[in-house]
Amino acid sequence: MSAYQHLALAEIRPGMILSDELQDDQGHVLLPRGAVLTAATIALLPRHGIESVAVLAPGGATAEPAADPDAVQQRLAHLFRKNDIDNNEDWATGILRRYVEDYRLQRGIDE
Amino acid sequence: MTALVTDDIVRSLQDLPSLPAVVMELLGSIEQQDIDISVLAKKVSHDQALTAKTLRLANSSVYGLQVKVTTLSQAITFLGFQSTRNLIIAAAVTGCFPKGQCAGFNDKAFWRHSIATAACAKVLARRMKFNQDYAFTAGLLHDIGRLVLVASFPALYAQAIAVRKERDCELLEAERQVLGIDHVAAGIALAGHWNFSDTMRLAIAHHHDPEAPGAGFLATIVHVANAIVHALDVAGEEDDLVPAVSSVAWTALGLNEESYLHVFRETELQFEEIAAILMG
Repeated sequence: MSAYQHLALAEIRPGMILSDELQDDQGHVLLPRGAVLTAATIALLPRHGIESVAVLAPGGATAEPAADPDAVQQRLAHLFRKNDIDNNEDWATGILRRYVEDYRLQRGIDE
Repeated sequence: MTALVTDDIVRSLQDLPSLPAVVMELLGSIEQQDIDISVLAKKVSHDQALTAKTLRLANSSVYGLQVKVTTLSQAITFLGFQSTRNLIIAAAVTGCFPKGQCAGFNDKAFWRHSIATAACAKVLARRMKFNQDYAFTAGLLHDIGRLVLVASFPALYAQAIAVRKERDCELLEAERQVLGIDHVAAGIALAGHWNFSDTMRLAIAHHHDPEAPGAGFLATIVHVANAIVHALDVAGEEDDLVPAVSSVAWTALGLNEESYLHVFRETELQFEEIAAILMG
């Protein structure tokens, strides 16, 4: 299903590839997405409070097929059908919708 | 039809399945630091099914332990008492309500939603430097009032579900119209009956209106987690509906888009794993 797996630190081995940016509890980026883990970096992770890491699944280096944008939009429109974009009181719901859309379509944040 | 009142709910609670006594004790002591851990661990360990489920949760990657724990006292040593207590509560509560009692009520979707909200609330709490264990438990139990209504008034609740579908309104509205009471009131009643701590009770009471005075930060976390989980479409219900997100709550969390994208992913990953254990 997915091209990544979430592993406990004990299961992380040198050579594994980060499927996602690695952040500490404060949200500081420790390593970028796609970084190849070495024994030295793995040894440093507990010091930053990292307990588990998302890495590419074996053989999963090929990207997931991108979600169908039309299907995603349609489903979101249905889920958010009560969100009134013209109502200024309801802006937080609109932001949530935009973020989930970006997430589903794997868009970068600044696109 | 006469509307139900809180007294009817309270009366019906007597007939609900009860939690193991030791789990009630754990629920009541959630904010206490000075209870005797070894005695409780011993009591829980008499319940083998509960112990096994708790240990599987403790060994899941959600907690990232580097060693495999095989007894409850080991779990307490490595995870701490707070976390272990919450795992025991989660393992007990998810198994205690009977299934398939009410037409139109999807037990599986209910627990998928509750477990995902628990996972999401925990992830949000970590970012907010808030107690992750409270957040997990409050997320898991926020809608527990629905199970009370389903178990106590299955025919009426089936009507409420039908009304919600027909009018495509929020569930709370349909419940009030048909039963005269909603799942928040039922949840508060159960929280009293099951001896939940005040923090938990407040979070259940205000997860739909976290901006209410005195609602507490936990209600804010659960409110946003609930909306995120609806938006991520986790429950698998065709007519799922994202409720309005309180702008006060959203602002109080103050997270940027990048943080939310991480929260979404972590929620989905943790959900799969926890759900496999709790619903397995």
